[in-house]
Amino acid sequence: MAATRRLQKELNDMRVNGLKCFRDIQVDESNILSWTGLIVPENPPFNKGAFRIEINFPAEYPFKPPKINFKTKIYHPNIDEKGQVCLPIISAENWKPATKTDQVIQALVALVNDPEPEHPLRAELAEEYLKDKKKFFKTAEEHTKKHSEKRPSD
Amino acid sequence: MAELLNIILNIVRNALRMLSLGRPAIDNSLNINIKCSTGNTLSVGLDPEWDIGEVKNIIAPKLGANPKEVKIIFAGKELEDSIVIKDCDLGEQSTLHAVKLSKSFVKPSSGQLSSVIAEAISDEDEIAVLQETIDRAGSQFYVHCPVCNDLRLGKLRVRCSKCKSGAITVDTDPKSWSDVLKSNKISGHCEQDDCPDGAFAWAEFYFKCTEHISQGENDEAVPLYLLRNNFKNIPCLACTEIKHVVFVFPCKEAHVTCLDCFRTFAVLRLRERQFVLDDAIGYTIACPAGCPDSFIDECHHFKLLTNEQYELYQRFATEECVLHAGGVLCPQPGCGEGIIVDSSCDKVACSNGCGYVFCRKCLQGYHLGECNSLDNASLSDDIHHITDPARAAQARWDEATNVAIRVTTKPCPRCRTATERSGGCMHMICTRCSFHWCWVCQIEWSRDCMGTHWFG
Repeated sequence: MAATRRLQKELNDMRVNGLKCFRDIQVDESNILSWTGLIVPENPPFNKGAFRIEINFPAEYPFKPPKINFKTKIYHPNIDEKGQVCLPIISAENWKPATKTDQVIQALVALVNDPEPEHPLRAELAEEYLKDKKKFFKTAEEHTKKHSEKRPSD
Repeated sequence: MAELLNIILNIVRNALRMLSLGRPAIDNSLNINIKCSTGNTLSVGLDPEWDIGEVKNIIAPKLGANPKEVKIIFAGKELEDSIVIKDCDLGEQSTLHAVKLSKSFVKPSSGQLSSVIAEAISDEDEIAVLQETIDRAGSQFYVHCPVCNDLRLGKLRVRCSKCKSGAITVDTDPKSWSDVLKSNKISGHCEQDDCPDGAFAWAEFYFKCTEHISQGENDEAVPLYLLRNNFKNIPCLACTEIKHVVFVFPCKEAHVTCLDCFRTFAVLRLRERQFVLDDAIGYTIACPAGCPDSFIDECHHFKLLTNEQYELYQRFATEECVLHAGGVLCPQPGCGEGIIVDSSCDKVACSNGCGYVFCRKCLQGYHLGECNSLDNASLSDDIHHITDPARAAQARWDEATNVAIRVTTKPCPRCRTATERSGGCMHMICTRCSFHWCWVCQIEWSRDCMGTHWFG
């Protein structure tokens, strides 16, 4: 199966080369189509914690894009309460089979670091982000401290 | 009397012995058809160790000529006397062409021909030149063979585009696939006496399967020219493995997938009805990386799929053609007959198929007046079920299916294709007509939908 071979390779590459912003990649041995990992953002207000995500690859991967879900609550205009995120690189119409998972992760981390209020999932947070950034940062930082996971020490 | 019997027995024994002695020679020989310019075809057994000079000695008397006046042509090249048959890539039942040189003929053609012959003699060389960018050692073409009904290795052959005779020598070797696939690219000399074009001819290339014994000159294979030997070791776009044989998409970047991934990709696109009906090419797909102008224009490449999948491909292609021409498909389960309709009349009868008579607009049974909207339909169902809803529902299999479809699907607001949402966001893209619509509002997808209920 193309998906299994490709994911095995991608997983090895990512474990060898190690992204600084994506740690602790865990894959169930019986199901390589489901990964979890820890997003470690650089920018405030999200740099006070780390966020667990789940990546689900379809059996038709890489001809169909993976789906990403946040398992950790995050106060972010582009990520909703259920952890769903809209990432153009993995939308059905933009997806390219040659896109590697580390590129997807980097796009995701860039979105977490710099929210895009023009394409919000949570309209009220986008509005707050645009109109009262100070308040948004304060709430988001408190939210991060309360809900997020510990950042890796190294 | 006994003496006579002995003599006869001896003769029979000798004959038997000769036959059994002859057998290894027969096994070793190659049955070749030699087509003469006079129109006769001879079937001869040739020893692969022989050279062309010896072949000429056999053929010359049949042509009423001196061996020196005979020219042997194979795959667009004259074969020199010193060439050994086994080096010629001749298969069982291959056809050689024997031409008697007339004096008037020798002069104009000799100069050009000899230079060609000096350059490249054997068929092997010809293939290698064409496949410059491909694996030189194992020069191979991939073809779909209709006889084997499978992917096979093919061999390149040439004939005169006018008289279709193989007695043609080409002026230059084809250098690219376009030289081979497009007409009037490579010139040559047709040696057939009665060719309407005379000596000058355009070469027409075609392919034969290498894996079954030739069944004559019409036994051709379709070149699958997007399949190449991966001598550049390019990894598959999808699975990143480096495979020996790859599928090279016809885009500018020439994206590469392995054959397994090509099949996966094509079947996925097929099942989701994501093939495109192109006016010039037919029902096809483009490069998976989304490159422009990258349609696969030889539909035999889809023969790489299984027979069932290829049948599905043909069915969908036919259906798309019907829909494209303004027709409808019979909605009766198991029928699906394509019907070209009169746009002024809403009553459609499936006269060549199941006989069902239905409404062109709503694809339900034919009715007078306006079509029932979905809500009206379920309302009238409720009224029916008042009598004994549970029993009635169980008793009507088709009705249960209809209800299930109605409950789990919503029609595309543009083409009314029943659509099931299996997950993800509310932004629907119709697999049939590509309309972007909202699962909640059932109208065209908008920024409002994105802001208020993108994910429900």
